[in-house]
Amino acid sequence: MTALPWWRDSRKLGWLVQAAVGLGLLVVVALLLSNLEQNLTRAGLRLTLGWLNQPAGFDIAETLLPYKASDSYGRALAAGLVNTLRVVGIGLVLSTALGVVAGAASFSTNPLLRGLSRTYVEVVRNIPLLLQLVFWYFAVFLTLPPANQAVQLPGLQLAKSGVYLLGARLVNGELVGGWRLSLELAALLTGLVIYSAAFIAEVVRGGIASVPRGQWEAAESLGLKPLATLRLVVLPQALRVIVPGLNSQYISLAKNSSLAVAIGYPDLYAVAETTLNQTGRGIEVFLLLMVVYLGLDLCISLLMNGVERLVHLKDR
Amino acid sequence: MTSNQLMIEARGVNKWYPNGFQALRGADLEVRRGEKVVIMGPSGSGKSTFLRTFNALEDFQEGSIVVDGMALNNDLRNIDAIRREVGMVFQQFNLFPHLSVLDNLLLAPVWVRKRPRAEVREQALALLERVGIGPQADKFPGQLSGGQQQRVAIARALCMEPRIMLFDEPTSALDPEKVREVLDVMRQLAFDGMTMVVVTHEVGFAREVADRVVLMDEGEVVEVAPPQQFFNNPEHERTRRFLAQIL
Amino acid sequence: MSRLSLQRWRRQLFGSVPDTVLSLGLGALMAWAAWGFLHWAFGQAQWLVVRANAATLAIGRYPEAQEWRLWLLLGMLVSLTGLSWGLLRGRGGAAAPGWPLNDRIAAALLGLLTLGLPPLLAFGAINQGRLLCLLGLLLLLRTLAGRWGNHPWGQRLAKGWPLVWAGAYLLGLWLIGGGLGLTPVRPSDWGGLLFTLLITSLTLLLALPLGVLLALGRRSELPLLRWVSVAYIEVIRGAPLITLLFLGQNLVGFLLPGGLAPDRVWRAAAVLTGFAAAYVAEAVRGGLNAVPRGQLEASRSLGLSTAQTLALVVLPQALKVALPALVGQCIALLQDTTLLSIIGLFDLLGIARSVLANPDWLGRYAEVYLVLAVLYWGSCAALSLGSRALEQRLSSNNLRPSHR
Repeated sequence: MTALPWWRDSRKLGWLVQAAVGLGLLVVVALLLSNLEQNLTRAGLRLTLGWLNQPAGFDIAETLLPYKASDSYGRALAAGLVNTLRVVGIGLVLSTALGVVAGAASFSTNPLLRGLSRTYVEVVRNIPLLLQLVFWYFAVFLTLPPANQAVQLPGLQLAKSGVYLLGARLVNGELVGGWRLSLELAALLTGLVIYSAAFIAEVVRGGIASVPRGQWEAAESLGLKPLATLRLVVLPQALRVIVPGLNSQYISLAKNSSLAVAIGYPDLYAVAETTLNQTGRGIEVFLLLMVVYLGLDLCISLLMNGVERLVHLKDR
Repeated sequence: MTSNQLMIEARGVNKWYPNGFQALRGADLEVRRGEKVVIMGPSGSGKSTFLRTFNALEDFQEGSIVVDGMALNNDLRNIDAIRREVGMVFQQFNLFPHLSVLDNLLLAPVWVRKRPRAEVREQALALLERVGIGPQADKFPGQLSGGQQQRVAIARALCMEPRIMLFDEPTSALDPEKVREVLDVMRQLAFDGMTMVVVTHEVGFAREVADRVVLMDEGEVVEVAPPQQFFNNPEHERTRRFLAQIL
Repeated sequence: MSRLSLQRWRRQLFGSVPDTVLSLGLGALMAWAAWGFLHWAFGQAQWLVVRANAATLAIGRYPEAQEWRLWLLLGMLVSLTGLSWGLLRGRGGAAAPGWPLNDRIAAALLGLLTLGLPPLLAFGAINQGRLLCLLGLLLLLRTLAGRWGNHPWGQRLAKGWPLVWAGAYLLGLWLIGGGLGLTPVRPSDWGGLLFTLLITSLTLLLALPLGVLLALGRRSELPLLRWVSVAYIEVIRGAPLITLLFLGQNLVGFLLPGGLAPDRVWRAAAVLTGFAAAYVAEAVRGGLNAVPRGQLEASRSLGLSTAQTLALVVLPQALKVALPALVGQCIALLQDTTLLSIIGLFDLLGIARSVLANPDWLGRYAEVYLVLAVLYWGSCAALSLGSRALEQRLSSNNLRPSHR
């Protein structure tokens, strides 16, 4: 029997298609890499990480990590990373809190509360985050009054010099003491939290809605008030659906923190952009950014997987 | 073309699933033109798997299958040709929900056999009349009852003018009162001379229509006999045990 | 409102003491916020910035001499919309005698907008007149097409309609960009709302087929295709868009021979397309997973090839299921175009920020950003509503689930 031509052989076809695709990809990648090599050598920038030790020469507006302009690029990027982690950490906590409240509120018996929650979600979801961020920063926080006329809220004082929590006092026309957030950080957090919380609210709402009506009724017939029902009966079951949704929202929040560059908060991306502009080391900086952000996503996913397992174990 | 022409010739078919489980053990079967063969057996016996090897929906590792003179092997051209000549009706109907009943029938003849749409349309409408769905030609599958959907599925397979029809438990997913309308269509089809291989639990149908009945158990073909002998005087103990369960 | 629902409202709002406190508190808060906003909007806000820059916000730095092309484009879009609207309604079967309620509401709203907004924005009399004519054209065509819907002529037209839109899109691109007889207008001169809509639609159109390919690749049985697809999708989804745009702007020059670098706009569009494709792939994958295996088997057993099975049986069903998720991606893409302002392109947000940088309009952030917010919100909310309506229409085709 004559051998089958390859285009008719069902066993060979799969391999051949893969070989063709693989070859095609290899060719494209090889071309790109060779171009890269040529262009980099011409610009005098061979791929290396040694430049990370050179002095950065630029200031960073605010850092948790001690840093001065004579420190290395590596330290500058680390400072940026710490700033990013600060925003993401606080942001996750606050947006979860707000999101859970808003999500639960959409099931309230009070129509005003329900309506408010729905309106909040529907309005915030449909306006781009960047627009909200620049709005908060330029139209709200930058227009705050000077320190001696600071806006007083319970536990908060808002002024041109920053947002002060927990008891700052006016000394010689300036606010001192307490915990100070720069305007940039405050605006970034406000915009990011309000935006993310709307999406988290939807996740929470979907999770609660997935719990069968019978659970509510059973709890009610046992004499539990609605709030207690929510806390003790419904939420634990809803969590099974909520946790995966939260995972993707948290990752979104981490990625969205990179918009800080638009309002002057020196997060990792902003510092990286300045570094690139000064050193011209595009490829290395880009790869560093990708590795860090992908790593951050992975950490969040691992954390949420752990939470999911916790939630699962509880009821088996 | 004599009625002795072999339509399906399966010899020593062995099939293993990736997890090591052997679904078919040396299964043999011969089906001649115009014959009606009914395959029965307990669940997990491999009867559906065996049926589905005939039109390459399932592959097999050892043995040989020749359908309508074409060998079932790795040759894609053979597989395509075999699928054109073999029609199949599924337990879950598998009608295309996004197309109307008529379009369900038209799809394959137009795109596979490249026949002109108007000509196929006429044939399709006639087929729908034949299975009793004439007035519902423009409805969508979701608007029909189970029995109606299965009859459409039969018409859809027939629209390709196949030389063999395979039925994989065609009535198992139907309400009892709908079973009869589908069996009636199948009975008429048999009477009109179609070569049929049917996997079913419907003993009455087997007794009436089958030329031979096959028992499969644990991947093997246990017994092949005309219905008279199969149901009243089976040869093998396993057949007797199976009949005791279902009769 | 009936007496019963009034009673129910009263009970829910003021049923118990905590409820009453909550209701009163919320009510007071909302009233205070509303009053504060209105006070600002009609008292302190200076809306001149919006009126003076309306044209810039709409079309960026598009040369004034070529504006007639944009009016032509708008006219074409309006005509097609009117015809589509009418054809869709007319296909219902029975000849629709008048207009359904939704249509009347839509027409009234459009009328209000066209009559009220242009004077507010200080459009010249000519432009106001043009807009009114366009509205008239829209309503006229909708009426005519509504009558044609039942004609066999109209039905044949309706079948080929997607092609008409495709052709119109290409025509629109030519009108905007120029070349081949029309004065070319550089992409860097396209700006504002025009640019945003153009980039969004172009990116979406290109990302859809790419995303479908990726989704199919991810589900493929061939390991290489699967790994490549998964790797691409997961890496893209893990990266912030700004870093990818950054890559596109700064590094593409390194990757192409001889430092060749296409226009920044095309670079950004390419990055956006690649980005959106990964998310589209996930949405389509959900749809593909929802198609029962039996569909594939039935199709193959009828003799249809893999390609035919995909095109005629699997994809139509998969895309229908994936539609809500796809529209979600569309909305996300529209919002993502704002990031182009960070890399210096003049989408709607970008051009707004350049307007605000003008010393004449210093400090008018709230006014401009609020107008932008309304525009974006309107578009996204409309898309959302449209998708829900489309969902309902499509699911009404499969009325009853298969009986046993």
